[in-house]
Amino acid sequence: MKARAFIAITACKLTHWLLRVMGRGATQLPGRVANKIYPDLLGYLARDVRTIIVTGTNGKTTTSRILEETLREAGISFFENKSGANLLNGITAIFIENCSATGRPKKKTALIESDEAAFKKVGKYTDPELVLVTNVFRDQLDRYGEVTHTLNNIKIGIQNSPHAVVCLNADCSLTASLRDEIGNKVIFYGVNEPIYKHRVREESDAPYCIRCKHEYEYEYITYGHLGKYHCPNCGYSRPDPEVAVSRVFISDADHSEIEIEAAGEKFKALINLPGGYNIYNGISAVAVAYALGLDVRIAVGALSSFECGFGRMEKFMLGDAAARMILIKNPAGCNQVLNFLSNISEESIFVVCLNDNYADGRDISWIWDVDFEVLAGLQDRLSLIYLSGIRADEIAMRFKYAGIDPAKIKVQKDYGKLVDAISSQKKAVYIMPTYTAMMDLRALISKRFGYKNFWE
Amino acid sequence: MSDYSLNLCHLYPDVLNLYGDTGNIICLKNRMEWRGIHCEVSNLSVGDELHAGDHDFFFIGGGQDFEQEVLLKDADENKKDDILAAIDDEKVFLAICGGYQILGEYYKTWDGKQYDFLGALDLYTVGSETRMIGNYMYTCDALDGDKIVGFENHSGKTYLGEKCVPIGKVLNGSGNNGEDGTEGCHYKNVFGCYTHGPCLPKNPAFCDMLIETALRRKYGDSISLADFPELDDTFEKNAHEYMTARLSKTNADDPSR
Ligand SMILES: [Zn+2]
Repeated sequence: MKARAFIAITACKLTHWLLRVMGRGATQLPGRVANKIYPDLLGYLARDVRTIIVTGTNGKTTTSRILEETLREAGISFFENKSGANLLNGITAIFIENCSATGRPKKKTALIESDEAAFKKVGKYTDPELVLVTNVFRDQLDRYGEVTHTLNNIKIGIQNSPHAVVCLNADCSLTASLRDEIGNKVIFYGVNEPIYKHRVREESDAPYCIRCKHEYEYEYITYGHLGKYHCPNCGYSRPDPEVAVSRVFISDADHSEIEIEAAGEKFKALINLPGGYNIYNGISAVAVAYALGLDVRIAVGALSSFECGFGRMEKFMLGDAAARMILIKNPAGCNQVLNFLSNISEESIFVVCLNDNYADGRDISWIWDVDFEVLAGLQDRLSLIYLSGIRADEIAMRFKYAGIDPAKIKVQKDYGKLVDAISSQKKAVYIMPTYTAMMDLRALISKRFGYKNFWE
Repeated sequence: MSDYSLNLCHLYPDVLNLYGDTGNIICLKNRMEWRGIHCEVSNLSVGDELHAGDHDFFFIGGGQDFEQEVLLKDADENKKDDILAAIDDEKVFLAICGGYQILGEYYKTWDGKQYDFLGALDLYTVGSETRMIGNYMYTCDALDGDKIVGFENHSGKTYLGEKCVPIGKVLNGSGNNGEDGTEGCHYKNVFGCYTHGPCLPKNPAFCDMLIETALRRKYGDSISLADFPELDDTFEKNAHEYMTARLSKTNADDPSR
């Protein structure tokens, strides 16, 4: 088996090198090559690595970035999958990068963001020490069918990870229900009070009890279907979280100020990113630190100091325009972005780039489940909306039906011309691309403005 | 403002709300109001009683299997008789995916369990283990063969009986069952189909035909949408034409269609 591992590792490294030489940032191919040669390769490479897995629909990347900061502060040497390569092949390639030609790991801890469906295998091969489940929302339904299917994938993944301590979001009725299906030690985290005074109109992704199908009652909702729920019929209810946001003092367009309660102690914390969903990203990272036995203060400190993740409110200059890039991929996440955007006060340009490649989700129907109507009330601050990507026509039409003045809706499918148009205006720009649109746009922007390539 | 108004009933909006189906309501309401036709939307869900006489137009979307079970009992107890009466009374229905199946006779799962549905339409659905998924395109007989485009995503195969006809012929994709080349069902003024996307915004002619049908039923056959202000459908046409062009170039079995 060792010879085969050697060949697979070499082939992967070679492919990776070739792609780099050609100036390409493909994240799937090297791992695919290796897995073709040696299907159990990841299991072989992960045997001496302590793996932390982050999975769930929303918040994986930002949470991983906070954890990265936490691990670094805690003095733990680790490697991670950084460029959103969260499927089996991408994760395998990251493990290969971390090992010698014979498969010996250079660093002994791995922080791995895993796609929910891929987690079934990733869990099995890596035998993780810790699994964090952020939440379960509707996402790219064409691939998974429905949320209960996603939940089932995560369940199997955890069942394939018998040694892992599992951190579950108590506020997500779907995620929290996993406790009854698994034999692992579970640590719940959650938010103990509402976050927003006003929220966008959004449908719940889980209005009915996962156990008995009776409608839930809520003491409060933080966003989407997250909150303090209970089922009046069978008694299923939100478990008390061991690691919690006990107070939300401020949550505005720039940051949140909160109090965290863990291990019987209270900590004041500042989250350096806007939006209620980032409060969840923060508390889930604290829960992981707590579960790993790290000093919780280190994680709390990381919340205020970490830098924005890839496409998660990243800031950069496009000529004269101050741009922020915010990845969109499903209605719950996109509605949270709108919760944030509806608080902006300066005149801004919005850009949405909608692709329907496999990694974006083939079905773009979800754009109609997003409350873009809320933008109609902001039109005095919205100077223009540019729509781009493969399905630009469809998202342009969506904005028209959301009540935006058609004169403000500009379709520009050519990214070069799009970037020209934006960078010549001295305005705040919010760019919301789907995954592959973000990759294409990033490539063009790095070339044009000299930002470093994303795979570095 | 004209004196025309239509009351739109959205059935189970909080349960059957997958794949952007709510976009059909957004589309109907806007296209009526842009023309000065008043549009009132009532949301009726589990526990609410339906009074068919209050509404001119009914919409039912698709849902997750898990949630569909929740409402079957309610539909049977609180809404079935009125739905049947409204269909008989030639009210306009648009039913998508799960909503379409529920109007049929029954659903048989692939492992043989049978769920009885409302029996309003002469059709039944059989579950299969493969999903029929992707952008697709079909003709619409009620629009003289014009094309409808959308996104289908279903594992149920629907078979029509003799009392209803399909909406049209599948040009690219699976449609009702992936076997007989038909898509959707048309019976009286009921249209059922698998078209998510959602269905109406990028098929404005289909949307307008439904509105006109409801207006004629209520105000008489002499009424025509052509007498109302003309709408600028540039965005709609671009979205429609992009997808018809793309599907004309791809094979039905191309996973990227
Ligand atoms: Zn219950």
